[in-house]
Amino acid sequence: MTKYCSFSLVVVCVFLLGGCTTSVTVEGTIPTPVVEKIPVNIGIYYSDDFKKFQHEESIRQHGNWKVDMGGQNLLFFRNLMTAVFVDVTEVDALPLTGEDLTELDGILVPEIVKYGFLTPNVSGLKFYSASIHYRMTLYNTQSEKLGEWTIVGYGKSERTLFGTTESLGEATVLAIRDGGARIAMEMDSQPVVQSWLENVTE
Amino acid sequence: MIKHATSLLISLALVGCASTRVEERREATTGIGDQEAIVLLGRASYSDRETETSFTDCVASALAKGERPLRLVTQKDFKDQLYPWFEPRTAPTSSKDLAKLFAQPGVQKRIIETQVRYLAWISGDTITTDSGGSFSCTLSSFGGGCFGVSYWEEDASYEASIWDVENMTTSGKISADANGTSYLAGVILPIPIIARPGNAACKALANQLREFLQGAPIVADEV
Repeated sequence: MTKYCSFSLVVVCVFLLGGCTTSVTVEGTIPTPVVEKIPVNIGIYYSDDFKKFQHEESIRQHGNWKVDMGGQNLLFFRNLMTAVFVDVTEVDALPLTGEDLTELDGILVPEIVKYGFLTPNVSGLKFYSASIHYRMTLYNTQSEKLGEWTIVGYGKSERTLFGTTESLGEATVLAIRDGGARIAMEMDSQPVVQSWLENVTE
Repeated sequence: MIKHATSLLISLALVGCASTRVEERREATTGIGDQEAIVLLGRASYSDRETETSFTDCVASALAKGERPLRLVTQKDFKDQLYPWFEPRTAPTSSKDLAKLFAQPGVQKRIIETQVRYLAWISGDTITTDSGGSFSCTLSSFGGGCFGVSYWEEDASYEASIWDVENMTTSGKISADANGTSYLAGVILPIPIIARPGNAACKALANQLREFLQGAPIVADEV
């Protein structure tokens, strides 16, 4: 009987640990950048993958993790692009037809290439950390790809006793914020953007 | 009896002490008007060591209280107002970079709006330098208790680098170091004797920073 009880207990424990998923919904506020606007009318295409980005990962001995950051990231990018460009038009699909391209100077497509995080248990540090790799692709009004560049955003947040989801959420918000800072500050210094701007403003 | 035991525990918990050393290096005269503010910024890095938010919060809280409180703008508000220029990887690393930063459209206007006169960059952290002993608690059907002694020694080392936003110069630096050993003794009941070097460094840094900003003049070296 005792043996049976012990076995049941082990089965229950394994089941509970195995089935445990930590869900993190990324929330928070990210400010509007104070930067000089680029005087163009840009079309921005946000794919469904970008809009609804979720990261799922299974970490051995630390269960399953699901980070839902698509909504917060989209809100931030809409705000960011409005601050970086004089005119912004959100487009629904690519490639655009002639009519859709009227009055646009180019199309920018942001993508999330990779998202990763580390918990204190994995890293051995006092922080939760997160990183996001963004790829920005620029097209001209003939829907020709002009070039792309990658920006990596990092964020970390102090570990709290019962605040796993809050800490990882905050680290992710900070990674979005850091990536956005680089995008805002470095947009007009990207060689592909510079040569495109020369053509557009001619 | 319980009252006495509680008093004893509380007083014992307060016994832990930390020794503190503060140093100041002044490079310019300072002074702060009633409407002018200071912002404390934790210097962030992507290494494993970083100034804890709780430390900058502690210094800010200490500066905002007392007989001569200073007007503070919170780190979050300041960084949000000036986003993306004071993020961990984009913030100026020396006061010489301020002129370049102010040349960016809209930045100087935002700083003027916040009425921030001084930026104090806080760096440093609290680390455990030594620990040892043995302490355990047991609970059984016959009762329970804690036995043994454990200790840990902590060293808190912080520095504030103060920049004058109006003159775009470094006004000076203040460092505060504190260390102390905490004990947890088990004599049936657990008796904590906690030293708080981080808190001691916070109070020392805040007091010196207040004195520094509220206008001690440069004393010329005597010949």
